[in-house]
Amino acid sequence: MSATAQSGTPVLPHTELYGRVAEFYHHEAELLDSYRFADWVELFTEDVSYRMPVRTTQFLTDGLGFHEFDFFCDDHATLVTRVKRLETEFAWAETPPSRTRHFVSNLRVREDGDELFGQTNFMITRTRQDLDYQLFTGVRYDRLVRDGDGFRIRERQIHVDQTVITGTNLSVLF
Amino acid sequence: MTTTTSPTRTLLSDGEAIEDLVRAEEGLISRRIYADPEILRLERERIFTKAWFFLGHESEIPEPGDLVTRVAGLDPVVLIRDDDGVVHAFLNSCRHRGMRVCRTDRENVSFLRCPYHGWAYRNDGSLMTAFGESHYGEGELEKEELGLIPVAQLDSYQGLIFATWDPEAPSLDEYLGNMKYYLDIIVGRTGGVEIVGTPQIWDVETSWKFATDNFTDNFHVFSAHHSLVELGMLPNNPDFASHGHMIVAEEGHILHLTAGAPTEEYELLGLPQDLRDKMPEHLSPEQVEMARKTAYSAGTVWPNFHWLQLMSSGTMGQPDVPFLNFRLEIPLSPTRTRMYSWLAVDKDASEEFRKATYETYVRTFGPAGIFDQDDMENWEDCTRASVGPAAQRYPLHHKMGIGRPVDTSWPGPGTAYEGAYGEMTHRSWYAAWRTFMTRTGNGDGSAAR
Repeated sequence: MSATAQSGTPVLPHTELYGRVAEFYHHEAELLDSYRFADWVELFTEDVSYRMPVRTTQFLTDGLGFHEFDFFCDDHATLVTRVKRLETEFAWAETPPSRTRHFVSNLRVREDGDELFGQTNFMITRTRQDLDYQLFTGVRYDRLVRDGDGFRIRERQIHVDQTVITGTNLSVLF
Repeated sequence: MTTTTSPTRTLLSDGEAIEDLVRAEEGLISRRIYADPEILRLERERIFTKAWFFLGHESEIPEPGDLVTRVAGLDPVVLIRDDDGVVHAFLNSCRHRGMRVCRTDRENVSFLRCPYHGWAYRNDGSLMTAFGESHYGEGELEKEELGLIPVAQLDSYQGLIFATWDPEAPSLDEYLGNMKYYLDIIVGRTGGVEIVGTPQIWDVETSWKFATDNFTDNFHVFSAHHSLVELGMLPNNPDFASHGHMIVAEEGHILHLTAGAPTEEYELLGLPQDLRDKMPEHLSPEQVEMARKTAYSAGTVWPNFHWLQLMSSGTMGQPDVPFLNFRLEIPLSPTRTRMYSWLAVDKDASEEFRKATYETYVRTFGPAGIFDQDDMENWEDCTRASVGPAAQRYPLHHKMGIGRPVDTSWPGPGTAYEGAYGEMTHRSWYAAWRTFMTRTGNGDGSAAR
């Protein structure tokens, strides 16, 4: 099942499992906003698929417009490469670094056998140097596996709301 | 700067001449051209309604009724294939009140109906029906004259569709001139390419000309993309992209053919063997020989269409894979630009190569690409640092190779220079800019109005 399927039994907000998944996402956001990218990449499985499709404006009858191209189509080694790049002194898009804030909300969790599905809305603010805010919003569909008391992300589909990205580049992580 | 009025000079509102802003032969380019709203006002008329502009590739609209919405110059257009298979480009604006008649990025239609009052146009642009026709009196609705407004000329070369708003402009064939020879090498090499999916589109806070400048610039790579040198993904040698040729095919139509590492993998554009085998069917022996010596190529069809034929990897330790990228910049304001980026792949490519070239492009270029994202940073900060009045007193420096002789042994058309580090192609692009901006010059300061 792909991450966008979000199949299985709903896990309700008052449960311990829902709380642990929520904490996982809050932890992830903190890692990203505090430049702990090497720790962040540890949250993904070795066989992860991390994708952000390009969105196009289409009539609803033609679909959501997410099926034609990607902004990200990473595997684990590619995510590691991105993180290693950020750790050099020469990744100019993030040197000096952006200040980001990842707001993650509207969490829905489903349990499907050994796997969990997590769906979250995101709003990411970014400023650089003395510049105005940039804003990235959308929804993330994740497929999670259990890892002890925690989780790892096996698949992430990031559906951005914009068809034209208005943020210079996508050097921030989602 | 001189303020002498001369009948052959094109003066701005303060008396400064465009001829003095772009001293291409001296390699001095005024920062004013990147940031002054008066310049963009002039460019609107003198470039963006006069030159030929890339709209898309034929493979994006293969079936009758297929359309994509694009920009021709600065105006939104619908690029559409009609029921008879003929491709048209129309201003995306109803003849009645000007409403956008197509408001998606792509669809398939037999007709386009304006949401506002219901005027409906066939996919060949003709007006089919205006709502409430019975309320128009005799002669009040000239239906046969009220079709969607077509571009002045529309044509394609190697599947690349271009348009101009100037009915007096030279034909596309004449406009491209010598550039066709090089488009054949890059786009026609195996009998044709097709677009993968849909373009990535994003806005960058830059003058469109800083982006354009960067697409004919090899020697930024070692510094601007130095993070990848650190990771061992680019050679740790500042001269690694300096071998090959820089070619001015026509004024403003410019390219690099750059050699890669001296191994077979970096010959023939790095393409896989099955595609290499097809090249002699579609190229002359001379063109094949040029491709053999080329791993990387960047080219510009004046003013704002580019190809990037590159080899890279999105993953440390993995071999480089080639990709063909088409680029376009559309100015939204003097300091804001909309970027379009397409991936193309040979029609005859294997599934294996399609997957490899796709992943390589997406991971390394486009807004999230680990190479490209640092370029946008440079364009934005070049722009920000050039808007101030003091900065604009000091021209930018484009002098590299100004004394280098023409390579008279070059077998291809145009003017070629040995080496791939130099600013000959930049200077040609700016000379073309000056040609367009001064072509209707009047020398009395009315350029400003």
